[in-house]
Amino acid sequence: MIDISLFVLMLLGALLALAVYLPLRAGQLSLATPGFYTIGGTVAALLSTQLPGLGGSDAVYPLTSLLLEMIVAIAVAGLLAFLIGKPVLKLRGIYLAIATIALVEILRVVLLSSPWFGAAVGIFAIPQPFEGPEGYLIAYGLLLAIVAWACARLERQPLGMAMAAIRDDELAARCMGVSTDQVKLIAFVLSAIVAAAAGVLAAHYFNSWNARQANFDASITTLAFVVLGGSRTWLGPVIGGLVLTALPELLRPIGDLRLIVFGLVILLGPIFIPQGLIKSKQS
Amino acid sequence: MSAPTSTNNLLEIEQLSVCFGGLQALDRVNLSINEGEILGLIGPNGAGKTTLFNVITGLTAPSHGKLRWQGNSLAGKKPEQICRLGLARTFQNLRLFRELSCINNLQVAMGSNNRRAALELLALVQLQEKADAAAASLAYGDQRKLEFARALATKPKLLLLDEAAAGMNPIEKQDLQALVQRVRCQFKITILIIEHHVPLMMQLCDRLAVLNFGRCIALGSPEQVRRDPLVIEAYLGSQR
Ligand SMILES: Nc1ncnc2c1ncn2[C@@H]1O[C@H](COP(=O)(O)OP(=O)(O)OP(=O)(O)O)[C@@H](O)[C@H]1O
Ligand SMILES: [Mg+2]
Repeated sequence: MIDISLFVLMLLGALLALAVYLPLRAGQLSLATPGFYTIGGTVAALLSTQLPGLGGSDAVYPLTSLLLEMIVAIAVAGLLAFLIGKPVLKLRGIYLAIATIALVEILRVVLLSSPWFGAAVGIFAIPQPFEGPEGYLIAYGLLLAIVAWACARLERQPLGMAMAAIRDDELAARCMGVSTDQVKLIAFVLSAIVAAAAGVLAAHYFNSWNARQANFDASITTLAFVVLGGSRTWLGPVIGGLVLTALPELLRPIGDLRLIVFGLVILLGPIFIPQGLIKSKQS
Repeated sequence: MSAPTSTNNLLEIEQLSVCFGGLQALDRVNLSINEGEILGLIGPNGAGKTTLFNVITGLTAPSHGKLRWQGNSLAGKKPEQICRLGLARTFQNLRLFRELSCINNLQVAMGSNNRRAALELLALVQLQEKADAAAASLAYGDQRKLEFARALATKPKLLLLDEAAAGMNPIEKQDLQALVQRVRCQFKITILIIEHHVPLMMQLCDRLAVLNFGRCIALGSPEQVRRDPLVIEAYLGSQR
């Protein structure tokens, strides 16, 4: 029997995939998503365990406090992405990818080495706003619905079209009056916000939080979601995130072979379906 | 009497030089573009025509010289700023947003998702039926027309067309000539056009400038340029 926690993780996977998708839609290969996810989780863990006023000792953690954590996490991650994005987005292609991997590593080391953030052991006993996984399923479902709806809307707005134009031909986009630096920065900030919001829920769901959430493996896994699903429209990353999160669990009966199957999907996907499972309407 | 608008300089190019390493792609070029005219730019391959477009649109920094747009210097302006000042271009080697639909290509340039306005522009180049097809799926001639419409979608005052008729058949070339003339009147814009097909340029342009080895060797009416011995030697005389 598949238990409900798998569905929670699948929705989380879809959200992280959308976070990777946003900059990628503008042609920017950023692997910073796990970093902003960790920031979101850390903000939530700190606020809910350190600020008694939020109701951490109540029988059920208030939803208003959860909402407040979201707002703070989004502000922190968004501001950080804005400050980091300005210099980092000057890098192109693989250099941007490498720089964002380095950012995630720096963040991990900083969090691991400062007791204030829980250091190596992490932060424990994070209060629970929901009684069981069903509550998290609904919360993640709601968050995913909002983010997916916003992405779908964005794609039809001038900003979303400009992002796709940059991916197709950045120089031509500039010559057509698109402020490419600005558009790329907005995509990067939006991505950070989505990842951080997903992290806030995750900290509560996992009940404990440490900086090991931000690692290179997570960067690659979230990228694989988008590679498999496709980065042309929001539905691609959502499908990719859902499927690739579920796959290792569904393959559990075949034992260690499942890791090989998982690896093959990531390896062969781009070869046979370079645009991903979900293509855009045209072409 | 109304003031002679034809003497209004829209863009002034002064002593413009561009070097790529040891190669002098443009050599002290002087050129003024008058408001409302169709100015043709011809010259053999490698003469520096595209380089001139790249400097005007902010893609290439000049080594020397000045550009003045409606009296103001363009020095240090980014391509997107220059576009917003009212200069838009097409590219010799088509640079469409290939995966986007035709209509999205125009909407990016318009900076709005107004479908009706984009469809009107598509109709102008007779591509309204292809509105939702990916740009890459169009025939070559249609891609050129789409790029033309995309440049127009930025609402330019000066439209720069690089080899506008390249790869077009004779009928398409005729259509293009009519289209350029129509657009000039309808949108009240100025056009700087590069094109190798000399007979077309003779009919279309008010004035012609001839570049050779980065120098502007002739400038005048098509008649004057045709009779210019330097031009005959450098360009028209060389069998192309
Ligand atoms: N970015 C560059 N770096 C180095 N050399 C360049 C660069 N761009 C152009 N050139 C050189 O400058 C010269 C002028 O090139 P340009 O493209 O302006 O010619 P053109 O008149 O447009 O020719 P064509 O009719 O073939 O398009 C050529 O010799 C070209 O090789
Ligand atoms: Mg050229």
